Order: sequence, then C-alpha cells, then structure tokens
Amino acid sequence: MQRRQFLVGAAGAAAALPFAGRARAQAPVTIRWWYHFDNPQHSPAELVTRFERENPGIKVQAESVPWGGGNDYATRLYAAIIAGSPPDCAMVKLNNQARLLEMKALEPLDRQVAGWFGRTDIPDNIWAINKATDGRQYYLPLQYVVLYLYYRADLFQRANVAPPKTFDEFLRAAQATTRDDVWGFGMRGGAGGHDHWASFVLGGGATFDKGGMVSEKALAANRWFVDLARVHKVFPPSAPNDGFRQIIDNFKSGRAAMTIHHIGSANEMVDALGDKVSAVPVPRAADGKGWTSFGDESNAVFAASRNKEAAFKWIAFLSAGANNVDFNKFTGQLTVTKSGASGWSLHPKRFVDATFDSLPIAAVLPDHPKTADFTRTVWPQNMQRALLGQIGADEMMRAIERHFHG
Amino acid sequence: MLAPAVLTTTAIVFFPVAQTVLLSLRDAVLYRPQDMPFVGLANYKRALDDEIFWISVGNSLVWVVLAVGLQFLLGFATALLLNRSFSWRAAARALVVVPWALPSVIIGLMWTWMYDFNLGVFNDTLVRVGILDKPVAWLASPDAALYAIVLALTWQGFPFFAVVILAGLQAIPAELYEAAAIDGANGWQRLRYVTIPSLAGVMATALLLRTIWVANSLDVILVMTGGGPGLATHTLPLYAFLRAYSGMEFGYGAALAVLLTLALLALVVLYVARAAREAAR
Repeated sequence: MQRRQFLVGAAGAAAALPFAGRARAQAPVTIRWWYHFDNPQHSPAELVTRFERENPGIKVQAESVPWGGGNDYATRLYAAIIAGSPPDCAMVKLNNQARLLEMKALEPLDRQVAGWFGRTDIPDNIWAINKATDGRQYYLPLQYVVLYLYYRADLFQRANVAPPKTFDEFLRAAQATTRDDVWGFGMRGGAGGHDHWASFVLGGGATFDKGGMVSEKALAANRWFVDLARVHKVFPPSAPNDGFRQIIDNFKSGRAAMTIHHIGSANEMVDALGDKVSAVPVPRAADGKGWTSFGDESNAVFAASRNKEAAFKWIAFLSAGANNVDFNKFTGQLTVTKSGASGWSLHPKRFVDATFDSLPIAAVLPDHPKTADFTRTVWPQNMQRALLGQIGADEMMRAIERHFHG
Repeated sequence: MLAPAVLTTTAIVFFPVAQTVLLSLRDAVLYRPQDMPFVGLANYKRALDDEIFWISVGNSLVWVVLAVGLQFLLGFATALLLNRSFSWRAAARALVVVPWALPSVIIGLMWTWMYDFNLGVFNDTLVRVGILDKPVAWLASPDAALYAIVLALTWQGFPFFAVVILAGLQAIPAELYEAAAIDGANGWQRLRYVTIPSLAGVMATALLLRTIWVANSLDVILVMTGGGPGLATHTLPLYAFLRAYSGMEFGYGAALAVLLTLALLALVVLYVARAAREAAR
C-alpha cells in the first residue's frame, strides 16, 4: 500500500512537472474523456477523484460510450469529430489510427511523452507497436492483451496429446480431441474472429503488403486453415456464425478442446474449470514463424481540444504505475507498465506466462483506413463463405487482396 | 395557418431526405471529410453492378413477404381468439403484447441463444423428442439462417396485427353477425362474408405499414447473424448500414438507402392514398 501511494504520488508530481508553470496560470478547466468498459458496472470514478485531488485545476468529465464490438464506438467518435465536438481525449485502438490521422483528428504527443516520467516504465516494444506510420506518437499506451491458445487439460489428457507448438501438432491435437459432440477447436467465424484465422494464415506466411494475400505461401496457409473445417472437420458446425460468447461457452461446456482468446477471459475460465484449463502461445509454422494478435488500447488527445495539456495530464495519469494497475482491474487486461507487471496478481500465473511468451510473435493488423472494414465485414463474409464451401479458399484470399489493394 | 406544420415537416422529413439524396451523389467517405467529390450517379451505377446489392434485394423480398405474411396470419388468428369470451381474456390480451414491447436487440439475443448449436433450447428439445438426430447450426446454415430470423421477427411482430385487427373486430356491429346467422351462415361463411370484408380497410392499412417497417428493419438481423453466414441474410437496409457504418462509405450507403426508399415509395403512395380516402369519409 505504501509503495502504491508512493507511485501514485510520484506519478502525479512527475506528470505535472513539465506543465507546472502553465498550471499556475491556467483557469480551472474541464476535460471530456470517452471510455468503454466491457462491464458497465465498473466506473473510473475513483481514479477521476484521485486525479482531481492531485490536479485541482482540472475536472475530468468521464463519458462511458457504448462499445458495440468497437464499431459503434468508432462511428460515434468519427461523427463527433466531423460535427466539431469530439472529446478532449478518448480510449482508442490501433486499427482506427489511420482513419483518425486521415481526418487530421489526432494531436501528436511526442513532446509531452519525451518529458513524461512514465515513459521508461512502458516497454520499448509497446511504444514501437503504437507508433504511427509517419513515425510520430499519437497514442499513449493504456493496456494490452495478447491472444494465446486455451486448451482443456482434461480433454488433452483423455486424448493423450500435448499442447501444440506447431501447426502440425495443432492439427493432430484437434483431430485427437474431436469426437461425437466435442470439437478440437472452437473457431470464431463471426465478427472479431479474424484473430483466429490470422494466427494460422499470417503465421503461415500471408501478409498485407501488395500481393501478400495471393502468394503461394499465403494461399497454401489459407487452404490448410479452411481444410481444418472442410476436410478434417475439427471446427463445430456452428463455427461460421460463432462469436465471442459462443466460443467461450463451448469451451467451458467441454464442446471444444481448444480456442483462442486472451487473458481478459482467464478468470471466467478458471471460475468454471479450475485446473482443467490452461494456455500456451498459439502454434507456429514449420519455419518457426508465427503471428498472434496484440490487442492494444491507448488514449489519444484530439487536435480540436482546447485543453490539450490538461488532457495529456489525465491520460498520462492513467498510464502511470499503480494508477494503470487500478485501471486494469476494471478491464481485466494487462498493465503496460513494467512496475505494475512485476507484482501482477489479477490473473493466475499460467495465463500471464502464456501472454508474455506470446509477445515475440505478437503484432497488429495494418494501420490502414480499410482495416476496420476488413475485420467487420470483408473477413467474416468471405471466411464464412469459404467455411461453408460457397467459395474456394483461394477466392477468399483474392477478395482480401482486392479490398486492400484494388 | 398551415405554415408551422409545413415548416416542421420540411425540417424534419424533407431536409434529411434531400441531404441523403445529395450525399448519394458524392464519393463521401466519413474518414475523408475534406475530400467528398461530386460523382453524379456513379454510386447508383455501382449498386446496379454490385453482386451483393442484387443478393440483398432477393433476400429482402423473401424477408418481407415471409415475415409480414406470417405475422399477419398469426396476428389474425390471435385476434379472432382474443375476440372470444373466456375467463382470462383480459390477461391474454395484455400478455400477447409482450413480444411487441421488447426491444429488438433483446429479441435478437434471446433467439440467437434459443437457436444455439450447443446450448439452444430448440436443438435440445428437437433432439430429445427424436425429431432431429443431432443438433443443427440454424444460424450458421445458409439454407436455414434467413428463415430462422423470419421466425424470430414473426414472433416479435404478430402482436401488432393482433391488436390492430382486434380493434377492428370490436368495431363490427353485432347486427351483421345476427343477420348472417338468420340467413343460415356457418362459422366459415360468417368469417368469409362478414368479418373479412368489414376488416378489409384495417388489414390493408396494417399490412402496408408493417411492410414498410419490416422492409426497413435491420436490427434483429444485425444482432443474430450480422448478415451472414456469408451473404445469406444480407438485406438491402443491412447492406446500406454496413457500407455506411463499417466501410464508412456514406455516399454509397446513401445511394443504397435511396434505392430502397424508391422501392418502398409505391407502398407509401398506396398508404397515403388510403389514409386520404379514410380521412375524406
């Protein structure tokens, strides 16, 4: 507790330093901050109170905005920006950065970050992954997850297989655990399921560069993935329409032996299954390469804000040491700070380990204006048609190539 | 005297419609607000050349005809039942409105879980009573998904017809039935020659209104399948919504919406003409 109070105090004092002169001259300001929590019962009120106590000249108006799979939130944000009334700062994800930059809506934070004490408490690879394509820093990292492979230890033991490390081992494990009403892999074919596909197809050599979806390697990787459903039948028949809730409930009820998700669902899994559930990094291709999704969440300050310095103080407060740990209690994700991670106790260790072990292959989808439409519409539409045999695996890849490169 | 009403209608109806038409003539992408060039009818031409547009039109026809037809039949039968005398009629009349009162999103979620492949009540019941050998992935099957959603919407929408037709039934003079009985008409003949002709106006208006609403609705589909699997449940309003709010192509989305509006305009004209005739009586 004393350590936490020290960190909070240090965070507040240090964050305030670069702006101390300004703060004295400033009239009290109110900043609007948009956020979303999966659990609407959670509220950031305690953090807001703490911040306002440490920064008497600044009031924070925290506005909970419905997430709606990400699209509702993003649409509201774009509409607010175009209407000329965006919040001063908001929680944002990398797959919207390109669009926000195209709208000239973001304020670069390089100067503030350079003078912020908390910069070195966030690992370099997280800073790097959040940097924009123009080399500037618009996002201040807030939390993250990395997708890993959940497996049912009891079903694996019954089938006498080990957690897979390679694609071939994955196929063998999926086949060994598939029986009557149990399927080897609970695949998410509905919106948001691109991460499942990407682990195997991007991991197998496909890229978003021009021609990267239709290279021989990419086509072969996608054929292999589609064959998991069409030939080997290790996905449940409901896979084309399954979303987050279905894959989690299928796994918990023993209808699926493996699925892919992140540490945000770990506590729910353990509550239901105890030691019967564990996790490992997603499997890699035969050449040792792999890909898993880095689920980012940052805060950004908007160019239209009239209180940019105050807004930065608030988002810096949220990304600092113990504050960031407290924030992640609401979201169930992982702290971006090294100091916070060292004493992490919000999740069982095996899931934290699986997350850290996945970091070397963790990446994000391209910072491209069409990425959001890819994840929401283009991927599910074509993946579902391929899983159902309405189009071939190669046709699916050509559709994705056309979406990004015409 | 009419000026305020005309101004208000212009502001809240015609202005947004005009704005949508103007937007449909531009290459308007929401994340490029500074660059929305005028492209004339290019968005309309694109729609007519777009395979997904025509698939959506076909699905919309099936969706409207089946959903409105089933809602009407079920609503009509329910109204006839509720017009009879029985001890708990008041409670039944109140309860029948419940599906209509529920938000569409709740209905979508509720029916999604009822159809669930692994945990759904439909599969569980049908397998237990031996009608199915194994569960069916209703919403993941391109042959079943649209019909499964039609069933959900039928459940939601039939109370509208039941309530409207019940009101119409209660307005039919009892003398007509007495005269028919004296003439020796049986139950079917009373329905055929007294009830249905007396309700014709009410039913036509309810059918027109509901057709317009169902043709425009996308919320239940969006929640249950998002238009999938593949394109199996893509309807025209859903496609317009996805192009606008997923692709951020507001110009193209507006063009699709205008095409839908034009298709519905014939029904709107019919409704307005009927309403005018009713008012003139």
